[in-house]
Amino acid sequence: MYFNKVLHLSVFSVYFFLAGCQGSRDEPVPAPAEVPASSRLSELLSDGGVSGYAMADAPRDFRFPRDHGPHEAYRNEWWYFTGNLDADDGGGRFGFELTIFRFALSPNAPENDGSAWATNQVYIGHFAVTDVNRKQFHVAQRYARGAAGLAGAGTDPLRVWLDDWRVGVSGSGTGFRLQAGDGEIGLDLILEPSKPIVLNGEGGLSQKSEGAGSASYYYSIPRLETTGLLRVVGSEYRVTGRSWLDREWGSNALSARQAGWDWFALQLEDGSDLMFYVLRELDGAPGPYSAGTWIDAGGDSMPLALADVAIEVTDRWQSEHGGVYPAGWRIRVPSLGLDVRVLPVLDNQELVTTVRYWEGAVDVIGERDGRPLGGRGYVELTGYDSD
Amino acid sequence: MPVLYRASAGYLLRHPLQLALAILGIAIGVAVMVSVDLANQGSRKAFYLSMDALNGEATHQVVGGPGGVDESLYADLRVRHGLQNIAPLVEGRVAIAGEDFQLLGVDIFAERQFRSYAAPGNIRNDVVAGGRGEGSPEAIVRALLVTPGALLMSAGTAERLGLSRSLPFDLTVNGGRQQGRLVGTLGGDVDPRLDGIVVTDIGSAQAWLGSRGRLSRIDVKIAPGEESAIATLDRLLPDGVQLLPAAARTETMAGMSDAFMTNLTAMSLLAMLVGVFLIYNSVAFAVLQRRDLLAVMRALGVTRGQVFRQILLEAAAVGTVGAIAGVLLGSWLGQYLVTLVARTISDHYFAVTVSGIALGTLTAAKGLLAGLLATLAAALVPAAEAASQAPKLAMTRSTLERRAGSLVPLLAAFGLALTMLAGLVLWASGRSLVAGLVALFGLILGMGLCIPLATGALARLFAPMAGRAWGTASRLAIAGVGQTLSRTGVAVVALCIAVSATIGVSVMVESFRASVSDWLESSLQSDIYVAAPGGHLDPGLVAGLDDIDGVAAYSTTRRTWLETVESRTRLIAIRMAPGSYAGTRIRGGDADEAWRRFDEEGAVLVSDAYAYRHDARRGQAVRLATDRGNREFEIAGIFQSYDPNSGAIVMSRQTYDRYFDDAAIDSAGIYLEEGAVADAVMASLRQLAGSGRELAISSNARIRELSLRIFDRTFIITNVLYWLAVFVAFIGILGAMMALQLERAREFGILRAVGMTPRETGILVSIQSAFMGAVAGLAAIPVGLVMAWVLIAVINRRAFGWEIGMQVGASPILWALCLAVVSAVLAGAYPALRAARTRPALAMREE
Repeated sequence: MYFNKVLHLSVFSVYFFLAGCQGSRDEPVPAPAEVPASSRLSELLSDGGVSGYAMADAPRDFRFPRDHGPHEAYRNEWWYFTGNLDADDGGGRFGFELTIFRFALSPNAPENDGSAWATNQVYIGHFAVTDVNRKQFHVAQRYARGAAGLAGAGTDPLRVWLDDWRVGVSGSGTGFRLQAGDGEIGLDLILEPSKPIVLNGEGGLSQKSEGAGSASYYYSIPRLETTGLLRVVGSEYRVTGRSWLDREWGSNALSARQAGWDWFALQLEDGSDLMFYVLRELDGAPGPYSAGTWIDAGGDSMPLALADVAIEVTDRWQSEHGGVYPAGWRIRVPSLGLDVRVLPVLDNQELVTTVRYWEGAVDVIGERDGRPLGGRGYVELTGYDSD
Repeated sequence: MPVLYRASAGYLLRHPLQLALAILGIAIGVAVMVSVDLANQGSRKAFYLSMDALNGEATHQVVGGPGGVDESLYADLRVRHGLQNIAPLVEGRVAIAGEDFQLLGVDIFAERQFRSYAAPGNIRNDVVAGGRGEGSPEAIVRALLVTPGALLMSAGTAERLGLSRSLPFDLTVNGGRQQGRLVGTLGGDVDPRLDGIVVTDIGSAQAWLGSRGRLSRIDVKIAPGEESAIATLDRLLPDGVQLLPAAARTETMAGMSDAFMTNLTAMSLLAMLVGVFLIYNSVAFAVLQRRDLLAVMRALGVTRGQVFRQILLEAAAVGTVGAIAGVLLGSWLGQYLVTLVARTISDHYFAVTVSGIALGTLTAAKGLLAGLLATLAAALVPAAEAASQAPKLAMTRSTLERRAGSLVPLLAAFGLALTMLAGLVLWASGRSLVAGLVALFGLILGMGLCIPLATGALARLFAPMAGRAWGTASRLAIAGVGQTLSRTGVAVVALCIAVSATIGVSVMVESFRASVSDWLESSLQSDIYVAAPGGHLDPGLVAGLDDIDGVAAYSTTRRTWLETVESRTRLIAIRMAPGSYAGTRIRGGDADEAWRRFDEEGAVLVSDAYAYRHDARRGQAVRLATDRGNREFEIAGIFQSYDPNSGAIVMSRQTYDRYFDDAAIDSAGIYLEEGAVADAVMASLRQLAGSGRELAISSNARIRELSLRIFDRTFIITNVLYWLAVFVAFIGILGAMMALQLERAREFGILRAVGMTPRETGILVSIQSAFMGAVAGLAAIPVGLVMAWVLIAVINRRAFGWEIGMQVGASPILWALCLAVVSAVLAGAYPALRAARTRPALAMREE
């Protein structure tokens, strides 16, 4: 997952208002103003620039739980939870995504002590559930200002909330509790880490394109043992599974040469995890800043560069809303002896908004050093909607 | 029966002036009706449209007490209880370039479901210059949230005010001068509903209005079929906060001006009534003039039914043309009237901006139908008369007049019965405004029907006297009026009704004005009044009043609304200064005791109107929705007031503070020390306020003058309407005199032949007119006074609950007499001229 996405999101998030897309994807979505994605991006880049914001331009001394909390001086930030869940009674398999984004609209908060509503902070939330057995995908989104108690984030104790969607500390004090609901879907999950925090990039500084500051601070918790309740279309399931947390913040804009990205977060049965993102150039080729992290069963991590990984697309899926997404991959990491196939549990896990993206649960089947190896994971694909 | 049609058409076309007068009479009657209808509807529609725009898709609204709703409730509903279909709102007024707008502080993230024009994707900035990327929805959201003073308005308004995106401009909110910046235009540029609205972020609105922590209301959207959510939400609300259906709330607000509009409609019907007389006049004349022709037709085999139908058809044709002209005229007149009506409604009830009215099918149809029906009703009697024509040669004029003569006492008896019936309705109809108005019409019509009898009697009485005093010509003239009652009677009735309306209305307005003026005199006790235009006074400023040299004491006032599902009640909280008690007149009972309870026991005072509306008496309790829940307050007394709303409740500031979380003060009244100079104190006040705040500082005399000016403005419409009625009556007299003159051409011919000079003939006609005017004027006095009494004691009381002392001055009566005589003489001038020009030979050739 990389930085471009924040920018992209900050554009399309606004279109959510127009799209009025709430509830499941079955709802019709009105067409947006006809502006090519690339020009929207450039508009955004030209708008205001990054001067005045704090920049991710130097290694950082990460401290927790402080850094779980918000960094409002930076332009963008997110708390990104994804996971694969099984119903305890064997009655279903599910994927979920609960993300809360934070955006600063200006480097400084407006000077207005006459109102608690005055702020430069805006929060946007995405909540999606994949119902594998029923072959259904549900999505909801929210947006609110980070003021007047409507949305925000705090460090001690950690809490991030937007309306009644909230991320808090679990009862044990070491994990998280997620609560969200909208229409047909809802969840109340406890996530307990079974691996330590992993700093991606160079000690958590993740370079996205050329130049100092064209980077973000990026850490993950690759394994969160998950239990709780999941509500889908009138049924409530007691579920167990495994989640992944991505945390990222920064301020810089991305070069206009990049068309989108493919992000993989795979949790393998041997206890190891692989995260990798491919930044696609406009011509479709993987860009030089594509990178990832390998985390072994003991929690030790190792950065991966583009040269370490070979990814080929094995299948494609045509969205009924336009655009062709990759829908199957073969990923090889020769240095690790890894060779796996990554297959979506459901083709249609596309978040249908004006600027669409695909974020979905996947199965992993393959081998490592000749021994069979399976797993599950989440994949995100952006920049395919304008094809 | 083409021959009959041709005969009718030929007749009408040969008498173009008469035709024109008949058409004009109907047209004006219809025009007044249509224009009042348009003005009422235009104002009402403008109100609904603006409420529509303000409410958006909200089905319900969470409202609190005078201080609004605590904003933490909103976050609580959203974050703790997960409610989604709600939006916070902070409302106020903003002045830009001297124009007043509704200021709407919104959370743009919640607007999509409520006010689509303020939703991010619909906001435009195509009319304002902007750099690259500035037009994106995101850029507008960003601008609205982080640009100081950012606001949105309709493209039309921005253009009219000459505002551009590049330059900040001054605006005034709550008396404070601020800088505004246009960051986009509201969606739906052509939508006139948006013309009066300025949208800003809720944060700016709170800061400008000084209402940190408070919301004006929370909009709620409950989908059909999810009504159970209403009860759920209701349970989540704290004491003093209630959930009201948006539509009912709008209706309650709109209902405040109902009485005012009903009164206007009644006034317009008065004009129509006068018009009916006029039509009767024209049709009756047309029948009289053709009595020979009709007799011949009957002799040729045309049946009674055919004649009857023919006359009605003729009337219908004229009525249709007149009604169409009236609708057109009315829609033109309505454009002017609506401004007057809207201004009055804005003065007294709620802000209304009427940007234009369109003639609706319903209004047009109503006007046409009323015109046509009135014409047919008025033509019924003459048509029957024409049908009764025997199939032989001419019935003589005298036969006809004899017949009319026998009808006159019958009419008078009927009129008397109608008057009595109307009196009975008045007495028995309790508090119904409409019944009161119906009775008023009954009274006027009933008394009007007695006038022909009175006219005849007066003519018989005065003819010999006039003969002795001024000679034969005047005797002939006056006796002539009595002998041609079928024509003159109607004209006199029309004039009398129009003139009595002027007496009735002027006496009512003068009495009312005197009462108001007197009341203002006593209630305006302070020497200087301070208020923030369109907002509240700065608390710091009020606290600083004591330190100003020359200020002996001050009182403060907070005027606000208390809402329930079915009503809006004006609540006034007053902190009295010592000595200001005298300013409020307590009716009946022990005033000192009332004040003691008011001060010490938390009792309230209610206004006349409130007492009338709610049948409230001293010692009873009123139940009010306070921020501490529903509470009962004892009524310590009833006070004199001319509040145009449905009445007011006054409580002491101390009591108010105990039950409401609202520190706002709307105005302060300052009492000067002995020998202090008002101007110096005003200057100190301005200095205290500083340059950034606008204060309305007025002297006692100025407030009084302003109040009376608003009062007078309210009655401009009334004046316009009764002048129109007088004009209709004037046309009526003109028509009647024309008819008489034409009819009596032969008589004039003989008079000329026996030696009367043209001048004498002219004078004769003029005397007739003057006599008719005088009779109408005299008869109008009792009719007008009765009307005034009904307006004061019944209509105003029922409509507004006011108690007004009736005061009859000489001037409206003398003025009415003059008006009657002068308009009659003026109307008779042309007929007199024509009579004078009568050539004896020509006139008598028929013989």
